[in-house]
Amino acid sequence: MTLLRDVVTAVLFLTGACFCLLGAVGLLRFRDTVSRLHAASKAQTLGLLLILVGAAVNRPLRDAPVLLLVALFQLFNAPITSQIVGRTAYRTHAVDRRRLFSDELADRLARDGTPLREQGGLTPDKEEGKNPDDEDR
Amino acid sequence: MSPRKRSRRILHHLPLVVWLWLLWVVLWGSLSAVVLVGGLLAALLIVALFPLPSVLPGAVPRPLWIGALLFHLLVDLIRSGTTVAWAAVRHGGRTRSAIMEVPLHIDDDVLITVVAEITTIAPGTVVIEIDRRRRRLYVHTLPVRDQETVDLRKKETQDLERRVARSVGYRHAPPGRGSPIDPSDVPPRDGTPPDHRGERG
Repeated sequence: MTLLRDVVTAVLFLTGACFCLLGAVGLLRFRDTVSRLHAASKAQTLGLLLILVGAAVNRPLRDAPVLLLVALFQLFNAPITSQIVGRTAYRTHAVDRRRLFSDELADRLARDGTPLREQGGLTPDKEEGKNPDDEDR
Repeated sequence: MSPRKRSRRILHHLPLVVWLWLLWVVLWGSLSAVVLVGGLLAALLIVALFPLPSVLPGAVPRPLWIGALLFHLLVDLIRSGTTVAWAAVRHGGRTRSAIMEVPLHIDDDVLITVVAEITTIAPGTVVIEIDRRRRRLYVHTLPVRDQETVDLRKKETQDLERRVARSVGYRHAPPGRGSPIDPSDVPPRDGTPPDHRGERG
């Protein structure tokens, strides 16, 4: 029984750690802020959940509610920050337009007569010329 | 205040009190009398000092639908979590993304918040703008290969919206009161872009 439990915990821990690692890889490999948000907040959330479940399996039952709270607050709060960061990133031209398949928000803003480009921020030319890798170092 | 009204108000605050009490007990990690009584007092004090407005009048939580919602979320978390992780490894910086506009049918602050939250939790989609007035979400999604992927993701978000609405027994606004498509294409009077509440300055 203990062995089975240990195996389950080990598998969950390793899978969770893998997802956290993949999140970190995504953080490095993706080029713009919003894409990085995907990697940082998602893969990592899944990883954390798996690790919490793994811990819950191997701990006495009375620790489970606390672990549940950790999961709950992670799920509640991560999206709020993501949305604020994403919104700010879009408004400050931190989205890599070359990788965008389509941008219906820009279409909408243009239709409203308030295209983003005229409201300050980086001009696209400047953004093109900048090496995205510079920010990493 | 009539006693009836008062009792209804107390009933309205009850879930919050219970939740705060539960939180207190769980965080203390013990069931001693001091913790139980102290927690109840703290919860009552907080609710009395910082009363929250009532949200979603007439909402009836439906446990089964909420369960279905959570189950979908879990499946989605694993499925697209893998997709995003794979995209990061396989394509890295060359992964293509898109910003899509998702018209919503629900017209309620809380429900739109919930839809936006869950959309952002689900991997592969981040809400970057909420147009409250026009009931639209602008969702950055990744990875995107073609228009079909975008349409599929859009449909998924709208399915999610339907599940959220169902889980509290919310009915969609009658179509006469402005369908989500029509009123929005009218350009605004002034040039200010909508803020996060969908209002214009």
